[in-house]
Amino acid sequence: MPAEVKQEQSPSNATSLAMMQEPQEVVEETVTIEEDPGTPSSHVSVVTSDDGTTRRTETKVTKMVKTVTTRTVRQVPLGPDGLPLPEGSSPLGSYTDSIDRRYMKNGGDRFITPHATSTLTRSYNNSYNDSYGETPESQYVRHYGLHDGYADLTDNYGSLSRGVNLRPPRYPYLPNSYRPENSYTLPVRKDDYGHVAQPQVPMGSSTVDVNRSQPERFQAEPYGLEDDRRSLGPEEEEPYELEPDYSTANRRTLQGANRGRTHREPLRDMPRVRGYPEEAIEAELIDERHPYIHGIYSAPLAQPERGSMASLDRTGGRRSPSIDSIRKDPRWRDPDLPEVIAMLGHPIDPVKSNAAAYLQHLCYENDKIKKDVRQLKGIPVLVGLLDHPKSEVHRKACGALRNISYGKDNDNKVAIKICDGIPALVRLLRKTNDMEVRELITGTLWNLSSYEPLKMVIINHGLQTLTNEVVIPHSGWEHEPNEDSKPRDAEWTTVFKNTSGCLRNVSSDGAEARRRLRECEGLVDALLHALQSAVGKKDMDNKSVENCVCIMRNLSYHVHKEVPGAERFQDPSALQAPGSAGPQRKKKDDAGCFGGKKAKEDWFNQGRKNGENDKNYDTLDLPKRSEPSKGFELLYQPEVVRLYLSLLTESQNYNTLEAAAGALQNLSAGQWTWSNYIRATVRKEKGLPILVELLRSDSDKVVRAVSIALRNLSIDRRNKDLIGSYAMRDLVSNLPSGQQRPAKNLEEDTVVAILNTIHEIVTDSSENARSLAQAQAIEKLVAINKTSQSARETKAASHVLQTVWSYKELRNALTKDGWNKSHFQATMTTTPKATKNGKPGYDDTTLPLMEKSQDGYSTIDQREKDCKYKAVDGSVDQTEREPLKNDTNRKHYIRSNRPAVSLVDACDVKPQPVDSWV
Amino acid sequence: MSFMPGQPLTAVVQRIQIEKLRHGENLILGFSIGGGIDQDPGQNPFSDDKTDKGIYVTRITPRGPADVAGLRMGDKIMQVNGWDMTMVTHDRARKRLTKKNEDVVRLLVTRRSLEEAVKQSMGSYPRQ
Repeated sequence: MPAEVKQEQSPSNATSLAMMQEPQEVVEETVTIEEDPGTPSSHVSVVTSDDGTTRRTETKVTKMVKTVTTRTVRQVPLGPDGLPLPEGSSPLGSYTDSIDRRYMKNGGDRFITPHATSTLTRSYNNSYNDSYGETPESQYVRHYGLHDGYADLTDNYGSLSRGVNLRPPRYPYLPNSYRPENSYTLPVRKDDYGHVAQPQVPMGSSTVDVNRSQPERFQAEPYGLEDDRRSLGPEEEEPYELEPDYSTANRRTLQGANRGRTHREPLRDMPRVRGYPEEAIEAELIDERHPYIHGIYSAPLAQPERGSMASLDRTGGRRSPSIDSIRKDPRWRDPDLPEVIAMLGHPIDPVKSNAAAYLQHLCYENDKIKKDVRQLKGIPVLVGLLDHPKSEVHRKACGALRNISYGKDNDNKVAIKICDGIPALVRLLRKTNDMEVRELITGTLWNLSSYEPLKMVIINHGLQTLTNEVVIPHSGWEHEPNEDSKPRDAEWTTVFKNTSGCLRNVSSDGAEARRRLRECEGLVDALLHALQSAVGKKDMDNKSVENCVCIMRNLSYHVHKEVPGAERFQDPSALQAPGSAGPQRKKKDDAGCFGGKKAKEDWFNQGRKNGENDKNYDTLDLPKRSEPSKGFELLYQPEVVRLYLSLLTESQNYNTLEAAAGALQNLSAGQWTWSNYIRATVRKEKGLPILVELLRSDSDKVVRAVSIALRNLSIDRRNKDLIGSYAMRDLVSNLPSGQQRPAKNLEEDTVVAILNTIHEIVTDSSENARSLAQAQAIEKLVAINKTSQSARETKAASHVLQTVWSYKELRNALTKDGWNKSHFQATMTTTPKATKNGKPGYDDTTLPLMEKSQDGYSTIDQREKDCKYKAVDGSVDQTEREPLKNDTNRKHYIRSNRPAVSLVDACDVKPQPVDSWV
Repeated sequence: MSFMPGQPLTAVVQRIQIEKLRHGENLILGFSIGGGIDQDPGQNPFSDDKTDKGIYVTRITPRGPADVAGLRMGDKIMQVNGWDMTMVTHDRARKRLTKKNEDVVRLLVTRRSLEEAVKQSMGSYPRQ
């Protein structure tokens, strides 16, 4: 992965990481499809016992058909259709296998190097074969199809080998159809190509003698490979490297030749396509092309054949002399960048699309070229092509834009925005049904969304479209679910992943962005539905889920202040006496069979009916609602607690864990009725033990988010008691002891968050302060207070110590343990006055705690900014910063040991399960 | 479906056969139940009548066996393999459903939409 991209592209990077693993992990994927038989699945028997008469109509019994499909991804036997393979190529067991073998076979021949990718090419063939099989005699069409076919590449992946067989038949055509050299010769630029030291091959037909690396052009397959990858998205840049099979082969091959070659390869493809508009006749084309030949770009026509020859060679493992000579024809050169950009305006559509495809290829992982394209004013042209009616053209333009938009050079993103690229992309998204194009569009938008100033632009132009076109359909949510229609699951498509990533980024753009997203019709509903379905399917570790949870977390931030009508729910008593609001808030914890835990689709189907649930929470003034909650109201309905807790229990993805904990943190912050309710619900849903267990997570940010969530939750008095009794040890174990950090080596922010949580817990509770002392925390706190390098840690530790010392009833015990007053005094001269009454930072406790860390403890601007982002937008920015970690972090988090003491409210323990999965 | 003591009981029921899915050691039906005579019926969100202590389907695993077989959230389970489920404890119901030696359960369930469908098309064949 290019290091430089990390920062900006984090979303994409992370994604790609996830994707990279796939090729390795998914050696074999077994898909279990359960199909309904064609027959109606519902069978109604009517039993009417009416005055003793029983009428019974019975239909058949539902039968479930289960189809287990095992798709072997790696296994690519050659010639499955039984066609003889060229040159006795043996059936290859796997990609790797094939690559290696071929590579070996060809030895050091650099022309043949790209074997690695040959498998891919085969898949191209495959797809082209499918679509264009009916005209096999036309070389051009074939090529075109070949090129075109890569849209389907992914699908054909599994059966790549089939295509191999298609090549050999082409052999005979080659010599005949290969003509165009004479007419289409690019002006040779020695300066450009001379340095590519390639053996010169004298050829009969070559009129120009140039020292340049011809072979590059013949690497048809690498092109295909790269191009394919590119078309999948900039995020996939890394996966590239993750697929050792391909990349190693590529690299190997490149060693001998010009390293930059790969980037040029695509060119040979251009001519190919260019020459072959679907309907075009060769002669016409030639005529048409003539005018251009001289000036700008002419060469490529011949190359397509070459490319195909090359691939033939490679697949065949043997080259005929004629092919050799063709291939080494030095008269063809790659067009330079201005030429390619000029080609974007070429009247022939295939030329445009090829130019765009080539640009995409050139820009891949090459920031310099991206910049050049921008400076050569290529971006507006590409944006203009988005509205082109031909799918081939707008697809390629979109692909180029996506690569250009990827990277840390924000000027490229701005350039796309300036020429109204964002509305154009959105327009195209509305128009197209082509999955690949949609992936490209959403990928581009995702890239653009990583740049702050563009976030609002994307919201303004694309929010509702993205929601309607992608989020809602892919989430499986329906506006008005039909009771009998099966609830649909979310589909974790690339489009959904890209879109959720984009929305995740824009959701971090402050209050206005949050407002827009919350009020975007159907968005919250759909996201929740998607997450519910992820939980239902136990498929919670993927990137889409992570994105959704992060959006939810971000949208949950400051709900108590920002949602319309929030003032009506403010809790006046809590505002007056935040710390002591406990007693009257005691719940009648009668969580019964259904108490407050409604089935998941409930939110969407029925909402809460008032009379029935108030019973559970009768001491809480639940806002009365006559309608089922929808839209942003769903964000803070207590039902979401169960969702987040499920994620916290099941997910292995640190970002998801962090976001889910962050959502609970945000929801339990503030003083309004809903946060009271959320805090109580977390307890009732037995969420406290789940959270405490996560304090043992290896991930710094998970520990931090959980810790702050616990702090917010402890605003509820009962939670505070429970957390104080059962979580103290885990909190303390995360603290560094003196100068040596614990094994985890948590960041300063995390340590401060934990200290603040501890402080919150011991405030107003001498019992909790006692537990703290018993957890051997005083020693650590004193050490931090004395020796920590961090002023914030010192300060936070000192607050805790002062609070502990303020409980006179504890002093005796503390003195016995060898502590004296001096240990509990601040080392700093400027001790906050508030600490005297034992309630330092008291005011802050009523605020969402992330605000506190921001306002209360950060003095440096930089810090403040960090805190701000960490609080809400945290994972967005963090992921952006450290994309790599995300997935390497993904190790299995072991949850085997639950806290020894169950951290459950005694009243919550019910004799019966609330409801039982069967 | 509401039951009035002394009144004839009218129930529109549907038979649903679910094949359990083997998941490691466990056999999975893919839904969850709530209710039972030992539970607080007032908290059942699915019953019309808040005194109904029957067993209800509270959640369905999407595409799980129950979902595939056509079980719906909110269905009231009347019988499991012929055993009455309208007067059982929650745990009894759970055990009836999760017998290890049974790969298939046959449920008799009722749901509001069924009743409505039948009411609307009394006399004709009820269709969903």
